[in-house]
Amino acid sequence: MLLELSDVTLRYGRIQALHGISLTVNEGEIVALIGANGAGKTTTMRAISGLRPIASGRIIFNGEDITRLRPDQRVLRGLCQAPEGRGIFPGMTVLENLEMGAYTRRDKAGIAADMKRVFELFPRLAERRNQPGGTLSGGEQQMLAVGRALMAHPKLLLLDEPSMGLAPMLIQQIFSIITEINKQGTTVLLVEQNAQQALSRAHRAYVLETGRIVKAGTGQELLHDEAVREAYLGVA
Amino acid sequence: MSEINEATQRQEASGDTGVKAGVQKTEGAKRLRQLDMARSQFATRVRQRWAALPRWVRVATLLAFIAVLYGLPNLNIPFIRTESIAFSSVLFTCAVYVLVAVGLNVVIGLAGLLDLGYIGFFAVGAYSVAVFGSPQSEIATEYPWLALIPIAIALSMVSGVILGMPTLRLRGDYLAIVTLGFGEIVRLIAVNSSITNGQQGISQVPRPPGEIDGERIFGVVSARPYYWLALTVVLICMLGVRQLENSRVGRAWLAIREDEDAAELMGVPAFRFKLWAFAIGAALGGLSGALFASRQGYINSNSFDLLLSILFVAAVVLGGSGNMLGVTLGAILIAYLPEKLRDFSEDLPEYRFLAFGLALVVIMIFRPQGLIPSRRRAVELKDRQEEVTVGG
Repeated sequence: MLLELSDVTLRYGRIQALHGISLTVNEGEIVALIGANGAGKTTTMRAISGLRPIASGRIIFNGEDITRLRPDQRVLRGLCQAPEGRGIFPGMTVLENLEMGAYTRRDKAGIAADMKRVFELFPRLAERRNQPGGTLSGGEQQMLAVGRALMAHPKLLLLDEPSMGLAPMLIQQIFSIITEINKQGTTVLLVEQNAQQALSRAHRAYVLETGRIVKAGTGQELLHDEAVREAYLGVA
Repeated sequence: MSEINEATQRQEASGDTGVKAGVQKTEGAKRLRQLDMARSQFATRVRQRWAALPRWVRVATLLAFIAVLYGLPNLNIPFIRTESIAFSSVLFTCAVYVLVAVGLNVVIGLAGLLDLGYIGFFAVGAYSVAVFGSPQSEIATEYPWLALIPIAIALSMVSGVILGMPTLRLRGDYLAIVTLGFGEIVRLIAVNSSITNGQQGISQVPRPPGEIDGERIFGVVSARPYYWLALTVVLICMLGVRQLENSRVGRAWLAIREDEDAAELMGVPAFRFKLWAFAIGAALGGLSGALFASRQGYINSNSFDLLLSILFVAAVVLGGSGNMLGVTLGAILIAYLPEKLRDFSEDLPEYRFLAFGLALVVIMIFRPQGLIPSRRRAVELKDRQEEVTVGG
C-alpha cells in the first residue's frame, strides 16, 4: 500500500469539511475521487499534500506516518501534486516552471531525463519553453501543471481536476496522457468532476459526498452503478 | 500527440475572440497603449543592445558610472545640484533611501510580502547605534562605532524574525495590517520608553572612526564622507541582493510571490523562506537606520513616523517593485525631489505629500507595475487581472 488515509477529519474554522475519510492507493494504480462541488475532493487533496493540517486521523505514505510533515517534506518523500486550475507560476517561463518542479532534486542527470520525458509527453510545452506560463492557453497551463509535478519524479502523483475548464477534445487527451504516465510506472490519485472519464480510466474510485466517502469500487463497477450513473453521469 | 496541439490551438483561438469582444477601448486609451508599446519596445532594444556588448565594455561602463556616482558631490552639475541645501547632504539622504528601498524590495518585490511597517526596522537600527553608542543614553555602554553596526544589523534582524514568526502565516492584506501595527508599536516604544528618551531623544550618537592629519574624516560639517560611505554600503548590498536573487533562495521567493500554494506543493518550505526575506529586509533596513543616525548625530521619536514608512513603500512601488534599478530610481525621486523643490520656494516642500499622492495615483493608473517594472511582475499582474475578469 502506497498511501493510506485512516479516518481523516479536517475543519475550516467551525465548518467541518471532512468527516472521517479512509482510503487507500496501491502502487501502480490510478485511483479517482469523484463527487460534486463542495464534496471535499480538493480538501482531501490538500490534506494529503499537507497544505491544510488535519484535525484527526492518520496519513501513511510508503509505510511512514506523514500526518505531521510539512508539504515540502512530503515532496521529498515522493508525493507531488499538480494544483487545481491555474496553479502555475505565471511570470516564469515554461522551462523555469518545470525547473521549479525539480526544486527539491539535486541529481542533474535525472532532472534532464525527466525534462526530456515531459517534453515527449507534452510536445506543445517544448515549443513554448521560453514563453511565460501566464501567456499560455488554459489547456497548455494544465499540461504545464501536470508536467511540472512530474519533474519532482514522484512515487505518487496527485492531480486536482486535471480536466477543469478544458474543451472535450483536450479532456480526452489529458486523460490518455495520465494513463500513459501511469503505464510508465507512476501511481496516480486524481480528483475529478468529470466522472465519465475518471471512472473509465481509473482502476479504482471513491465517491465523495459532503465530506464522506459514500461508495467505493473499481472504476468499471462504479461506471455501471445505478446511483452513480444518476448522480454524476447524468443518466436517468 | 498532434491532436493535442490542434485542440489547444482551437481552444486558444476561441479564447482570443472572447477577449477581443469583451474589451473595448476608447481612442485615448488606445493611443496611450501604443505609446507604451513603443516605449517597451525601445526598452527591450536598449536591453538587448546592452546584453550584446562585450563583457569588458559592460564592466567598464559600469565602473565609469560608479566613478561618476562617487564624484557627484565634486562635479557640481548645474540643474542637478541643489542650491539651498548642501548637495552632498542630499546625496547622502538619497543613498540611505536607496538602501532602504533595496531592503524593502527584498520583502515586497522579491518575496511579495506587503510590509507597511518597515520604518520599525529602520528605527531599531538607528536606536541600536544611539542607545549602545552615545554617552547620553541611559545604558551608556559607549561601544565603538565599528561594533555598533553589527549590533544594529543583528538587532533589526532579530526584530524581523520576532515580527515574522507569528505573522508570516497571514497573507496579503492581513500581513500589511499587522506590519503597519508593528511600525507603530516601535514608534510608540521610542516615544514612551526611558531608554530611547522619547521626544528629547538621544544626542552624541557616535560617528564613524578615522582621522586625517588629526582631523576627523566624519565630521559635523561636510556630508561628503558620509555619502561616500553610504554609497559604498549601498553598492555592496546591491551586489549581495543580486546574488541572492539569482540563487535558489531567489527562485524560491519568486515562486512564493507568484503562487504560494503551488510553491509549497513543489517542495519550497515557504514559511522559512518568507522568514528569511523578512530577516534580510530587516537587516538592510536596520543598517540604513544606523547610517542615518550616525550622520544625524541626534535622533528622537519624531524621526520615525508612519508617513516615512509609507514613503518607503511608495519608493518601491513607484519605481517598480521587484526591479532593483526601478526601486533605486523610486527611492532617489522620493528623497531628491522634495529637497530640489526647496530651490524654487521654501513652501513647496510642504506640498510634497500632495504632489506624491497625486503622482502615485497617476502612475498607478498608467503604470501599475512601476516606472521600471520587473518583466516577471508585469506578466503576473496581467495574469491576476485576467483571473479577476474571468472570475468576476
